Amino acid sequence: MISCHPTQEMLEKFANGELPATLAAAVSIHAEMCSECSAQIASYTEQQAEAGFNDVSSHDASSTNVNDEDAFADIDIDDMIAAITATDEIDIALEDKEKTITVKGKEYVLPRALTNMTMSNWSSIGKLARSRVELGEGEIRASLLQIQPGGSVPEHTHKGFELTLLLDGSFEDDMGVYGPGDFIVLDGKHTHNPVSHEGCLCYTVSNDAQHFTQGINKLLNPFGSFIY
Amino acid sequence: MGQTVTSSLQSSAKTPKTIAMKENTEHQALANWLQAVANERSKAAFTHLFKFFAPKIQRIAASKYGNETLASEVVQETMSNIWRKAHLFNPDKGSPTTWVYTVMRNVSFDLLRKIKTKKEDNLSDDFWPLVESCEADDADSQFEDHLASKEVMRCIDTLPEEQKCVVKGFYFMEMSQEQLAQHLGIPLGTVKSRLRLALAKLKQQIGGEK
Ligand SMILES: [Zn+2]
Repeated sequence: MISCHPTQEMLEKFANGELPATLAAAVSIHAEMCSECSAQIASYTEQQAEAGFNDVSSHDASSTNVNDEDAFADIDIDDMIAAITATDEIDIALEDKEKTITVKGKEYVLPRALTNMTMSNWSSIGKLARSRVELGEGEIRASLLQIQPGGSVPEHTHKGFELTLLLDGSFEDDMGVYGPGDFIVLDGKHTHNPVSHEGCLCYTVSNDAQHFTQGINKLLNPFGSFIY
Repeated sequence: MGQTVTSSLQSSAKTPKTIAMKENTEHQALANWLQAVANERSKAAFTHLFKFFAPKIQRIAASKYGNETLASEVVQETMSNIWRKAHLFNPDKGSPTTWVYTVMRNVSFDLLRKIKTKKEDNLSDDFWPLVESCEADDADSQFEDHLASKEVMRCIDTLPEEQKCVVKGFYFMEMSQEQLAQHLGIPLGTVKSRLRLALAKLKQQIGGEK
């Protein structure tokens, strides 16, 4: 049972395509495992589409058309259509073949959102192993983090935010036990040390506090419970 | 088909009292055009779609990004995706406007990411897949729909190497038969016959599993 979900604001931003890739990936993975959030995203998407394309009730139909044509006056419609339809090829969007990774002898199936991402080699310290996900978003960095059975993350404070999305296994702290799909955001004001008895794999996103923008910080800090 | 749809759309648009009905009729018309693009590669239907959506996309993108050039790029990319992906639209899963919105959202995400991070990894279809997973497919949907399933991927992997190359190149890497012939250094006729053989084999395997 998933107990930690993204906020409504995050779901809405995700539906609108407004999150950075590091966070969009996390929401996408969560939504794949959480029918509640997935339905919420579908409803935000529908609302947006409605507002953009179907907004006939608030305008007189004819005046809407005039505005639209004005907005589009500079473009040669016929040329554009001819160029687009010149090709007969179609895109077969197929589900990617399942991509698996093996970390310290344990195999995991990667969520769809991560299948086409470039990842660094794994580096490890004690019972922790980490691989950077190369998304090029500067101070916002994503990683895969594996905690081997019996391992824990040393207590530390983080000045920015840290998002932990549990992909496989479980871990616990003084706040509770977390399982696959749990979407845990913390801003580092609290310290604690999560322990994983059975081992786990997480997708994490964090930022460097000094460089972090106000807007996203606010978006990511609505929770009262913290992990790292 | 396009003609009847157009005239019914226009006549209902003249009656302001029937807004809800207009929306339904409009959705029906848009859905029909998408299907005509998918099934018949109808340029007439595409032109209708273009005239309906392109100005709206331009307006939405321009107001969102405050940049007319970028907005035109979003229009160009979205409309060409509609031409190439119309077969992925499923009227049972949602309205045509929502589908086009998701295409536009994905295109915008990839374009903005390219501008901001210089990455051309086009992740949007991984974050927001335009195709439902195969469980949802109804039994009599077309063979093309099944290409989206993992089952087919497994079948493709059992094909002889030379057929596998052609199928993957044609369907997954979007190469034309001519490009494939050139790329593989074999005659066009060979590409065509390998493709035909492979598809026959796949159809048989997939049919047999039902
Ligand atoms: Zn959820």
